[in-house]
Amino acid sequence: MRVASFWMLAAMLALMTPAGAQCAPLEEIRRILLREALVPPNHADLEKLDEAGLPAFLERFDPYARYFPAREYQSPVTGREAWIGIGAELIARGEGIYLSVFRGGAADTAGVPDRSRLLAVDGKAVAGLDAQAVAALLRGEEDTLVRLTLARPGGADFDVRVAREAFKPLDVEPVPPGDRQVLRVREFVGGMTRPALQATIDFLARKGAGRDGLLIIDLRDAGGGDLYEAFDMAGMFLPAGTLLGTIQDRGEMARAVRAPSGEKYSMPLALIVGPDTASSAEIFAGALHRQGRALLVGRRTHGKCSSQTDARLSDGSVLRYTNRDVLLPDGSSCSGAGLVPDREVSEAELMDLAGLVRVVDSILAGK
Amino acid sequence: MRTAILIPMLLTAMLLGGCAGQHDPRTGGFFGGVAGLGSGGYKDRVAEREARLEELRATQRELDAEKGQLETQKSAVQALVDKDQARVKAMQAEIAALDKKTKSLAAQDGADAQRVADLQKRVADLKGKMNRQASSLDDLEGSGLGDADMDLRRKQLEKQRDALRKEYDLLMKMQMELAQ
Repeated sequence: MRVASFWMLAAMLALMTPAGAQCAPLEEIRRILLREALVPPNHADLEKLDEAGLPAFLERFDPYARYFPAREYQSPVTGREAWIGIGAELIARGEGIYLSVFRGGAADTAGVPDRSRLLAVDGKAVAGLDAQAVAALLRGEEDTLVRLTLARPGGADFDVRVAREAFKPLDVEPVPPGDRQVLRVREFVGGMTRPALQATIDFLARKGAGRDGLLIIDLRDAGGGDLYEAFDMAGMFLPAGTLLGTIQDRGEMARAVRAPSGEKYSMPLALIVGPDTASSAEIFAGALHRQGRALLVGRRTHGKCSSQTDARLSDGSVLRYTNRDVLLPDGSSCSGAGLVPDREVSEAELMDLAGLVRVVDSILAGK
Repeated sequence: MRTAILIPMLLTAMLLGGCAGQHDPRTGGFFGGVAGLGSGGYKDRVAEREARLEELRATQRELDAEKGQLETQKSAVQALVDKDQARVKAMQAEIAALDKKTKSLAAQDGADAQRVADLQKRVADLKGKMNRQASSLDDLEGSGLGDADMDLRRKQLEKQRDALRKEYDLLMKMQMELAQ
């Protein structure tokens, strides 16, 4: 859902750009797509391509392709910077907007429970608004207050004032229920998320969590990131040399990716997934699941096992396009199908982490 | 006659009331006060106040010790953060030098253009990540996280820095191979 909203916003931004404001190097784009795209575009369509038709063409040709004028580009693999806000992400689910609360952020500090349903912002009801419109209501200057009307998960409505403040989230967040090792991973940042996961597991072990105790990784909000980071993270839980997946380039080129050597973790592992679990997160979950190393609980994942690359063009603008497909260890692809959990839960159950932990416990107890 | 009976009765009642009064002046009134003065309660109250004062002093000493411990912990963490910052700065300088070398490599004739371009991209990524490390360390105290979370963040940054160091070593090796 969030992915859909993101593309809708992208399309709106593209439509809002005045004609002639962009000056995309079309010849370069044609050349790159013909030579490197996973599925090359039709020659005739490429020949007809013009400035105004570029966004629509890219959307038709590859749902994940996008053109970024130089000033609008931000690398997706550099990770989150500090931002000013309430320290929560919006999740659009059905008719509702819910808050995914970051540990240590302003909303968390103000006592907002994770997955609270947002009803109003400063008295303005959010019913009928999309996530972008709600995000606009929440935005504001640093150190200003915003009044949120929320419904607790399975509970009553309440009002809370939250300060907008500069915040940089943890790369891997331990999340309640605090007596269990439940870690939330929201993105896979090249060279950063794996060490953060290692550091967090070790940190919790020093604080008394059993190193061999069950580890639950919450991937419900993980929309993707760096493909190799996902493989490296899966490799932390599998013996060196184990097949993690295969990267399929254009044509018949295929390359097997195997677990590297290094520090290994042998504790039982459960992954919580949902419809927002996408791309690298699906590859991480798929590799561990297909190797029989992790239990999947939640709902069917998004279904995108392809990989994109960002090509910097001569004028500084960037073209993103799909250049590889990734196969899971059993040779299947999750593209279009998603990963089906071992235990599927309802939409409402997916919002209740404590309940999901109980589901994991009951499966492991053989109930 | 009536008055002669009433006065001794009243005096008796007053004396009995005094006996029943408590020693604590906070709970007693006039009778309590009489009882205190008449039964050694004053000394008890002084002793009690001294005991309470001693209790307060002990609590204060505990708080001082706790504050001292927290300050020691804080300065120990600050020392670690300072050390981390120094390491990150040193690595930033090394990466800047590597970046410079890689750029000069691109100008050389016969260099493998694709490999040089890949190396340049990876060096640029590494530079960005080191800058992020530096700003994360700067923000550590003002991050809004609790102490335990601050400790966790520092541990995450430490592991990430080790990983970036490995990436730097690898890129350095690649740069040297390409330069030969």
